[in-house]
Amino acid sequence: MPCMTRSMDNLQQEGPLLDVYFSLPEGLEKKLKAEGKQVPAPIHCKALIDTGASNCVVQEEIPTKLNLNPTGETTITTPSCESCKCYTYYMRLTIPVNKIIIETIFTAAPLKNQEIDCLFGRDALSNCVFIYIGYAGQFTLSV
Amino acid sequence: MTKKEPLEKEIETYEKNKDRLLAESPGKYVLIQEGKIEGIFESQKDAMNTGFEKFGNVPFLVKKIELVEQKQNFTSNLISITPSETKCHV
Repeated sequence: MPCMTRSMDNLQQEGPLLDVYFSLPEGLEKKLKAEGKQVPAPIHCKALIDTGASNCVVQEEIPTKLNLNPTGETTITTPSCESCKCYTYYMRLTIPVNKIIIETIFTAAPLKNQEIDCLFGRDALSNCVFIYIGYAGQFTLSV
Repeated sequence: MTKKEPLEKEIETYEKNKDRLLAESPGKYVLIQEGKIEGIFESQKDAMNTGFEKFGNVPFLVKKIELVEQKQNFTSNLISITPSETKCHV
């Protein structure tokens, strides 16, 4: 099980943050390459492991930058909005440390502040071990 | 003539066929493109890969066939969507 551990000086304030890359899913990348089409470069961003999020979320501009089309629609409820419709995208997320790769559905929504472009939610965590050691300012994610 | 939203036709097709799909393939995943049901799959990944293989980078719908769809919920206020936005999309 690939695993990464990160120590942060300000874990309590910032939350468990990961450097990640978004790219096209493998199936689409293969198709574009077979057709001789250009594959967009991966996009670097910050992801927050969020146990308060039922599902993974991506900043809505990122699928556009990757020229991706939606593969679904979903309904979300947040503290400020009940039953809002959002598009979903099938994307590949890579954590460079130990090359952890996850392909899953991301809901595209506007994420504000704190330069966070992704919420790593409980749907992705359902296949992981997540250990949060608050007193040490450290967390571990095994996928 | 108004421009259709991405997946509008696919979602309409799903809703039209929902009762039959629920009776025949509950819990499985349906792949729909341009108003046509292209297949039923055991896993989401298989449905996605078939969609990319057949259609490439165009909108298509992969949907779990279920009576009550699970809503997504978020406890933090990082998502800045407001009730006035009927649909948040790019």
